[in-house]
Formats: sequence, structure tokens, C-alpha cells
Amino acid sequence: MSTFRLGVDIGGTFTDAVMMNESTGEIRLVKMSSTPSDPSVGFINVIERILEESNVPARSVTYNVHGTTVATNTIIEGKGAKAALIATKGFRDVFEIARQIRPKLYDIFCDKPKPLIPRALCFEVPERLDFAGDVLAPLDEKKVREVARRIKREGVEAVVVCLLHSYVNPVHEKRVGEIVREEMPGVFVSLSSDLCPEMREYFRASTTAINALVMPIVSRYLERLERRLMEIDLRAGLHLMTSAGGIMSSQVARQQPVNLIESGPAAGVAAATHLGSLLGPHNLISFDMGGTTAKAGLVEGGVPKIVPHFEVGSAAVSENRSAGYPVRTPVVDLVEIGAGGGSIAWVDPGGGLRVGPQSGGADPGPACYGKGQTEPTITDANLFLGRIDPEYFLGGEHKLNPDLAVNAIGFLARKLDLQPVEAARGIIEIANANMVGAIRLISVQRGFDPRDFMLVAYGGAGPMHANALARELHIPKVLIPMSPGVTSALGLLVTDIKHDYVQAHIRPMEAIDFDKLTQEYQSFERQARDVLRSEGISEADISFSRSVDMRYVGQSYELRVEAPSRDLKPGDEGKLNAAFFEAHQRAYGYAETSEPTEVVNLRLTALGRIRRPQLRRLATGGQDSAEAVKGVRQVYFSEAGKRVACKIYDRYRLRCGNSVPGPAIVEEKDSTTVIHPGCHAAVDEYGNLMIQESH
Amino acid sequence: MATVASQEDQQRSKLEMDPIRFEVIRSAFDAAADEMGAALRKSAYSTNIKTRADFSCALFDAKLRIIAQSFSQPVHLASMSRMVPNAIRQYGVDKLDPGDALVMNHAYRGGVHLNDIVVIAPYFGDEKLQGFVAALAHHVDIGGYAPGGYCISTELYQEGIILPPAKLVSRGKIVEDLFQVILANIRSPRQSAGDFRAQIASSLLGQRRMGEIIRKFGEETIETFVDELIDYTERWSRQEIAKLPEGVYHSECYLDDDGITDEPIKLAVTARIQGGRVSYDLTGSAPQRSSPMNATLTQTYSPLAYVIKCLIDPNIPTNEGFYRLIDVSAPEGTVVNAKAPVGVVGGWEVAMRLCDLTFRAFSEAMPDRVMASTKSINCHMACGGEDPRSGEYYTFIETMAGGYGARPTKDGLDAVQSHIQNTENSAVEETENNLPFQITRYELIPDSEGAGRYRGGLGIRRDWKFPDHEATLTVFSDNRKYAPWGLFGGGNGASSRYVLDPDGEARELPSKITLHLASDSVISYRTPGGGGYGPSHDRDPEAVLADVLDGKVTAARAREVYRVVVDTVHRCVDFEATRKLRDDNR
Repeated sequence: MSTFRLGVDIGGTFTDAVMMNESTGEIRLVKMSSTPSDPSVGFINVIERILEESNVPARSVTYNVHGTTVATNTIIEGKGAKAALIATKGFRDVFEIARQIRPKLYDIFCDKPKPLIPRALCFEVPERLDFAGDVLAPLDEKKVREVARRIKREGVEAVVVCLLHSYVNPVHEKRVGEIVREEMPGVFVSLSSDLCPEMREYFRASTTAINALVMPIVSRYLERLERRLMEIDLRAGLHLMTSAGGIMSSQVARQQPVNLIESGPAAGVAAATHLGSLLGPHNLISFDMGGTTAKAGLVEGGVPKIVPHFEVGSAAVSENRSAGYPVRTPVVDLVEIGAGGGSIAWVDPGGGLRVGPQSGGADPGPACYGKGQTEPTITDANLFLGRIDPEYFLGGEHKLNPDLAVNAIGFLARKLDLQPVEAARGIIEIANANMVGAIRLISVQRGFDPRDFMLVAYGGAGPMHANALARELHIPKVLIPMSPGVTSALGLLVTDIKHDYVQAHIRPMEAIDFDKLTQEYQSFERQARDVLRSEGISEADISFSRSVDMRYVGQSYELRVEAPSRDLKPGDEGKLNAAFFEAHQRAYGYAETSEPTEVVNLRLTALGRIRRPQLRRLATGGQDSAEAVKGVRQVYFSEAGKRVACKIYDRYRLRCGNSVPGPAIVEEKDSTTVIHPGCHAAVDEYGNLMIQESH
Repeated sequence: MATVASQEDQQRSKLEMDPIRFEVIRSAFDAAADEMGAALRKSAYSTNIKTRADFSCALFDAKLRIIAQSFSQPVHLASMSRMVPNAIRQYGVDKLDPGDALVMNHAYRGGVHLNDIVVIAPYFGDEKLQGFVAALAHHVDIGGYAPGGYCISTELYQEGIILPPAKLVSRGKIVEDLFQVILANIRSPRQSAGDFRAQIASSLLGQRRMGEIIRKFGEETIETFVDELIDYTERWSRQEIAKLPEGVYHSECYLDDDGITDEPIKLAVTARIQGGRVSYDLTGSAPQRSSPMNATLTQTYSPLAYVIKCLIDPNIPTNEGFYRLIDVSAPEGTVVNAKAPVGVVGGWEVAMRLCDLTFRAFSEAMPDRVMASTKSINCHMACGGEDPRSGEYYTFIETMAGGYGARPTKDGLDAVQSHIQNTENSAVEETENNLPFQITRYELIPDSEGAGRYRGGLGIRRDWKFPDHEATLTVFSDNRKYAPWGLFGGGNGASSRYVLDPDGEARELPSKITLHLASDSVISYRTPGGGGYGPSHDRDPEAVLADVLDGKVTAARAREVYRVVVDTVHRCVDFEATRKLRDDNR
């Protein structure tokens, strides 16, 4: 009997399920509306539907992974658990003061993010360590007990402990934790030194508090899911996608729900990584464009770029520093901008044409949805230019009204004194310029040359723009996977289990204690091995990668540098320095090799390898793709400066080996691919379209 | 006549250039400026640049017109657009070669204060000068009388090394002689050298990006683009300014003193909004002092432009097109347009107060668009000494947050930077790792808010202890004798205080002083709360209750000032007692 892998990705608008037959690689998809009031309902609905449609018994599902926004939404909506903070005396206002800056420079009405824990529930205890972890003032245990009793009367679900310099010496935090547990059995206690032993108190406290605030909510949510899964007899252990683009078992996720904050976007990058690994070239730029935003990520040598921190709850456009809450956990590095199918085009009072970041979202959506939107969006421009078939949007489930798009674009064109076709072209060109900017940020600004990368484009709108973006950036190849609209859900099925560990270890390079370093790494590995085994991973599938965060003495942004997997020993300083100088040169354009360096954090990533599923292969055909042509339409291409007769292809009829010459449009249920004049797309054995220049 | 003008305006309300190309080029230049900023910030050494983000990067065309600028501190609004053209013109364009970069900080040659050092690099394409890039950064030390550049000076010469425009990089190589002279004047040369390298790297990046953009679109197109950008900015700004109520508005206030004498310093602002333009006249402001409390005209310009930016669409770009509409006239030889050789490092306090004063001038005409006074100080702490751990000389500066003014529809923010200043705090743990002092308290000050229908934000207390070494410390601040004002019946915020050894002798210090600290001394800063908006007895009793429960306002103050009786046992408002109290006092 066949066995199946199941992935469920819940977004704001849609809940996607993807199911793969492990032996044939055949994939099935179901897309249903999300149920925001209780996402677990949509979760079970979509599973029941996909099982029913494919006539697969629940028991045949052996692997179940979930991408969720529950943790993020809990923070953004301010619906976290009631929690209290215990801080060092003199420092209880860590959340009130935060970074002391305003998110917007010229808006006198703007606010700082609301403190994660209200001041009334922030307490302090006498104690103090210095930067080296030595005790300056002992912990006053009597006071701790008093505070614990006061907190008990408040009826909180969680207690967050964040004491100064606990990342270097957790002794006081641990003792506070013990006392609180004695006084308040059953309450969840979260120590900053356990979760995030890194320097910088506000960032550590914020991370720990977010973990504590979402924990009871995530825990109840997962319990509900697992109960419903049992009811429908789906017994495969539930796994969750993490921000770092790995997965973890629901048991582990319950303890560290802060790792689920960027669960959704990470899945897409995981899918792109997997597709890249099938094809060989391991340097990829992922490009995900949906209804409201576009996100670009980068994969080097088969490994997605990870950054050690981000901000939750700030606007998509990253310039609003401090608008959200900092989280210090590893997260897939993504540059996100407000450019999606629903992004609105408008004329600013100076007479400039702008696109986004305002979006019509799913409701009212673009003007052509007929739900009352009167301003044109990117989707309206694509429709106007003939790139979208109004009768075959989302496979025809959702008919578009081209007249409404014409009206909206005409209105904009009159304001600009342009022909409507010029206005529509302009919307696309400006949106593309913004997206080119995002891809430059993730590549050029990080020291990578886009010409050395392949662009992997997905999301409902990504394949429509990818070819033009690649031309602009001189990216030689563009890969459009099958079913780009559900690529993120596919990512859930192809990802390894991953756990990250970090420990602050601040030492000048010349004073490194290598024995201590080895002990720290070995301790990480022991912890990781225990967790991975509890998740059913066998020893042969476990691997570790070690790295250190380094900087010049006196800097305060660190760069991550790979460390050898063997134990480091005296004499390795040069190796680490060389790797650091290279990273600094790449990131900032210079490296001073005579300057002293220091180590700041030790990091370990533990992987539990999951068997890679086979993707289904296509039947082989000849180079000629004429079989798949389903019609001809007038489509505008800026290269031609006008509308030209363009062949429309049915993606499901393409065969391996086919070549599709541009200009061409390839349609499938969940997306439309545009191939520009002078380019062509080759169809590979997995049905991927590989677009490149024809010359 | 009026009809003709409006027709002309209408015709000119459109871009002459293809609006699509215009937007594409604009976003390319904006991205280049942002990229320069990111590179500078992340590779710099000093906390001031990397954490506090006290820097600015910009691109200019060959005619020295600003094309794009990235910054987090509005105080840099005007400094770039004046400093860079001044420096280049004074140095002489014909003396520049490819691969060169100039350095400059001279306050009396278009600069602001000596800590703000700009690195300017010309961009040559096809052997022809096609533009400039500039990276300005606030250096933590610049030599001079006291560590950190903040001192009670009487002349600019005491404030640090003065750099007229000079080549720091010649044909791609650092000019070692000059570089070593600069570093020899600085107390923490290693840190500063790192910051200079980051500025140079950022400029190189800017040059590369500028080259890519010019090659792609062509030099002529770029020139047309800059013409258009300036017209576009002017058109949009004029339209927005025209929406503000026309009239002449005036307000006056005082700063504590100048650090040398006790005499308060008068500031006076008259603003005329008319015909889509704003003209400021600062006549009536005090004559300049032999003290640090003087601002150059460049420094005075930024806060006045900033206030207008707050009143119009914030998305308007800032370049000549915007600046053209804002005239500032200030009599030479006053604290708002200082002439050499008086000190200028306290010009920040002048500039900050000008923001609040200008908002107050507009308050009667635009009551729904202005806030009560914010903390209205930059509030510097600068210190230095020999690090007992390493033997190296260290320097450090920090600026403290305080209360934001109450707003027409909501409370002022607690513990935040205000107006032209938006520098981040450095983490306590990071500071203690890098520097040999301890921060012993960092907390809100209850009852420091200006009471009101909407209350001002709370000030903060931050205490430092200097164990095992002697240090030199400068308090450079204000609003100790005065206090942030309320508006429309709102109360004043608490004044600032600076206390030496708060748990011992508790000596109250003036708001401007350089001190020699004995080992183990503690210095305590208490920053002001923001002013209130509207009468305090109009405040919603539930809002008063929330503040009492949060420990931000005491129950006693709630009763006395807000006339709200809080039942702290049941955590609720005693409405009956409150009504009676409010009725009795009406």
C-alpha cells in the first residue's frame, strides 16, 4: 500500500494542503479559505477534503507537516497569555523603554510598540552580575519569594525571567526559576538564559517574553489539532515548519514556539532549496510574490541564508526600524516589500506614479474582481496587457472583469496624461523596479553577484514577473516550479528537522580557551542528539554544523563564520580570522587584517535528515511544444512596444524536453508564466520551466 | 493674474519626463543611498554610529544638487545639503581626481559641530566628473577639552580638531600624513580609524552604484531627472504648505544658561506662512555667547525645516525643491547664527528647543497638529578615562530619552527621543562589555509627566557608576531651570536633574558641566517628562486608573492633580468620590 506525505500551510487568506505519494511522487493540492477564528477547523477541513478527493485513508499518511501563523498572529493581535516579568533591580522598565526611538521620524502621532508585558506585571529583585558573570550583588532569595507570591495573586500563566548578564552566568536566573516554580507549581517559567543566551537585555527579554506569551496559545492550538487528527485516524506525528526553514516535532515546538514566528515564509525558501538540489546548481535566489507582498531570499551552496534576528509586527517594508518586537532566533533571511498582485497604483501630489505598498489584498482585491476597488492594481495592469486570461484566473474558478480593469487604468492614465497602455506598462515597470531593488538587497547588498544565481519564482504572481526581473539583473536562468501557487506548501514535505543552539562566549581571539569552546559544542551536541532521537531520527541521519559569530574588537554587529566540525585547537585562530576577513570583505567591501577580532557567540545547527521524496517525472516529448498550445492572444511586451500575437500554452500538456519560445504565456490553474521575446523556456523532467535567453 | 498663475500651476502639476522612467531612476538612487547607509552602519566601530545610527549618506549630481539621502536623524536634514556643496566649492572642483575623497567638519565653513565629519568622494565616469557621494558620521571623540567633544567651551578651538575640506584619500590611497594627524588628536584612535574606514567603504559603494545608474540611463537623462526631481518636490511641497493656515506666528522661550554664566538664553521665532512658502525670522534671539551654546545657521535650519516636514506629507523627498520654500533669516552674531570663534557644540540644545518653540508658535492656529513640549533636550552624557582592564583610553557618549509631549488625541510617549533626535540607546550589557563603567539603574520616573487631558510621557532615570578608575564626565543638557511646557491648560513636565552620588552626598549639578570623577562615583540623570495637553481634570478617570496601576502616576498625584480617587485595593476608580472632588474644584 502506498504511503503519503501531507503538508498544510495556513495563510491569512487560503489554507493549502499538498499531499505526495511517496512511491510515485504524484502530488495533489487543495486550496480552501482559511478560518481565522479557529484555524484548526480549516486545518481539518482541508485534510479531510484532500484525503477524500484522492481516496486515501488517513492511516496511509506517514508524515504530516504544518506551516502556521498562529504564533505571529498572537503577537500582532496582542492576544498572548497573561505573563509577568522578573528583572534585575533597577531594570524592570526594559519593555517600556525598549529602544527609546520613534518608528517614524515625521509623524507626531506615531507610537512605540505597546510593551509586551504591562508595567504592573513587571517586578524586580535585588541581584547583580558584572559583564564577566561575577556576582556584584548576591540574589536576595527572600525578595524573590515575596515577588513570586505577589505574582501568584495576579493569576498569570507564565513568568519570564531576564536578569542582567545571565547569558554569561545563569546562576541567579536558575535560582529565581526554582523559587518561582516552588511558589507557583504549574505556571510556565521561561528563563532568558535557557532560550536565548545572548548579550543585549532588551532583545533577550523580548525573545523570551514572546516565547512565553505565545506558548499557552500555541500549546492549546497544537493539542486541538492533534486531538482532531486522532479523531480522523491520522496518526502520523505532527511536525511544524520553523522560522529557520527546518521542521521540528510538535513536542519540541511547544517548548520553543518563538521559533514558529516566520513559519510560513520559510517554507517557500525550503521548497526552492529542494528544487535547486534536484537540478544541481545550488546558488538560488527565491522570489515569492503573492497578493500583498513580494519576498526575496537567497540560497548559497544549497543552504538558505539565515540571519540571527528579526522584528515581528513591524510593517513589511523594513525601514520602520523599531516598529515591532525584536526576536533573536535564527530566521530565513528575507527581504519583503509591499508589491503583490493587489498592490495599488497611484499618483502622488507631485505627479509621480507609485505602486504599493497599499494593497487591495483579497478583499476588495484588484479592480477586476468587481468587489468595489476603483484604483488599478498590478493584477489589473497584467490583465489589461493581456498577460492574464480573465476566464482562467485560478483555473476559471474566479472570473475577472476586464472592463473594470480598463476603467481603473484609464482613470489613472488620464491623471498622468498617458495612453492607458502606457500607464499599464508603467505600473508593471515600477513594480518590477521595486522588486529588482528587493533582490539587489538580498544579493548585491549582502555581497553576492546575482549573475552567479538562478532565480526560483513562485507564489501566484511570481512567474508573471520573474523573466523581466532576471533580465534586469542579468540573472542567467529562471526556474518556475510546477504549481507555483502552492510551492510553499510543497516546502513542508521536503525539509529536514533542524534545531539551533547559541551561547554567548565573548572573548578576544587571542584569549580563546579552546577546551571551553569544545565543551560548549559538545554540550550543544548532546542536547541536540537527545532531542533528535526523541523525534525518531536515527544516529546515521544526524549531522551538526558549527559556527561562531565574530567581529572586530569594538564593533557591535557580528558576522557568522563557519567553524570546522572537528574540535578547534590552538592554532585555529588564523583559520577563523581568515574566514571572518573574507566575510567582512564580502559584506562591507573592506577587511583590515591587522585589526584584532573577537568571538561573540557560539552556534550549532543540528540536522535530522528526512528521506527526500521523489518528485513525479513527466513523460518525455520532443523539443516541439506545439501540442500544448491552447490559443493565441494579443499580449503587450515592452520589448516590442506594442501588443503582439502571443501563443498561450497549457502547462499540464507540456512534456519533458519541450521548448517554449518567447513571447509566450504558459497557463496553469494557480499561476501564469510570462516568457519574453528573445527568451525561451525548457521543460525538464519534473515539469519545471527553465527560462533563459535564446541567443 | 490669479487665474493665470493657477493655470500655470496646473500645467506644471505634471512631470515633463516620462513618469515611469522618473520613478524607476528615483528608486534606484534611493536604494543606493540606503545601501550606503547600511554599509556604514554595520561596519562602523563606535556605538554612536552602529547602534545609535547617528549618520547620514547622500548622492549629489555634478552641480552639487542632492539626489537622494538616507538618514535616521532629522538633524542631518539640512547639514548634508549645505556642508557638501560648501566643502567642494571651497576646495575647488578642479583639484579633484578619480579615487579622491575629502574630509571636513569645520563648523564655520558650513558644518554643524566638529564631531560630525563628512567624507565626500567625487564620481568620475568617462574621465568626467559626474557626481558626488558623501557619508557623514558623528564621531565619538574629536579631541578638544573633554572626552566626547562635549565641553563647556568659549571658542570652537577648544572643541576639537578642526578640519577644513582636505584630501583624506588621494587616487585610491589614504593620505597617511593627514590621517595620522587626525588620529593623534583623538582619544580613541582605533575606534575612530574604524569609523573612517567604514565611511570610506560606504563612499566607494556609493560611487559604484552611481556609476551603474548613470551608465544605464545616460548622463543627460540623469540631469533631466534631477531637474525634474527638484521641480516635482517643490510642486508637491508648495501644494502641501498651501494647505496650512496662512498667517504670522510668534513664540519665545528660554534655555537654562550657557554653561559659563547663569544667564538664561532667549530664543524667539516668528514664522510667516504665505503663498505656499514659510519664512522664519529669528530676530529677538539672544546675542551669541562666549560659550558652547551657539548654533551655526546650518544647524538652525534643520529644526525649522523639520517642523514643516511634520506638518506636511512625510513622503515628500528632501532636496532643494523643498528647501527653496523655507527661508530662514537670523541676525548674524546671535545664538542662532553664530560667527567665529565662539563654541558651537551646545548648538544641539538650541536646535532642539527651536523645534518645540516652533510647534508652540503654530499651536493656536493648528491645535490639532501640534504636541505640547517634549523633553526638549538632547541630553548628552560624555565620558572618558583610562580603562583599568586594558590601559587604553576610552571615550563614550550617550543621549537620554525623556517624555514626549502630549498630543491632541493621545498621551505623549514615555521614554523616547524627540524631534530631530532619534538615536537608539546602547544596551546595558553591551556597554558594560565594551567599557569599564556600570549602569546601575535605568527606569521610568513616576509622576514626571505633565498632567493633562492627555498627559505627557514620563522621563527616565539612568545612573552610571565608575568603579576602579577616575574619569572625566560632561553633562551637556538643559531644561533644569525651565520645564517642558503644557498646552491649552496642560501642566508642565518635570524638569531634568543631574545628581552626583545620589545615595551619598547627592550633589545637584547644573545642566552643563565637566567634572573630574573620583573612583566609584555615581552620576544620576533624570530626564524631563513631556508637557500635558488640555486641563488635567478633564482626563478620563479610567486612563488615570491605568497609570496608577502601572505605577506611572501615584494615587496621591491622581487625587491632587487629576482629581481622580483610585481605590487601590479593588483596583478601580471611586467614581462617586471622583465626581465630588471634581465638582468641588470646578
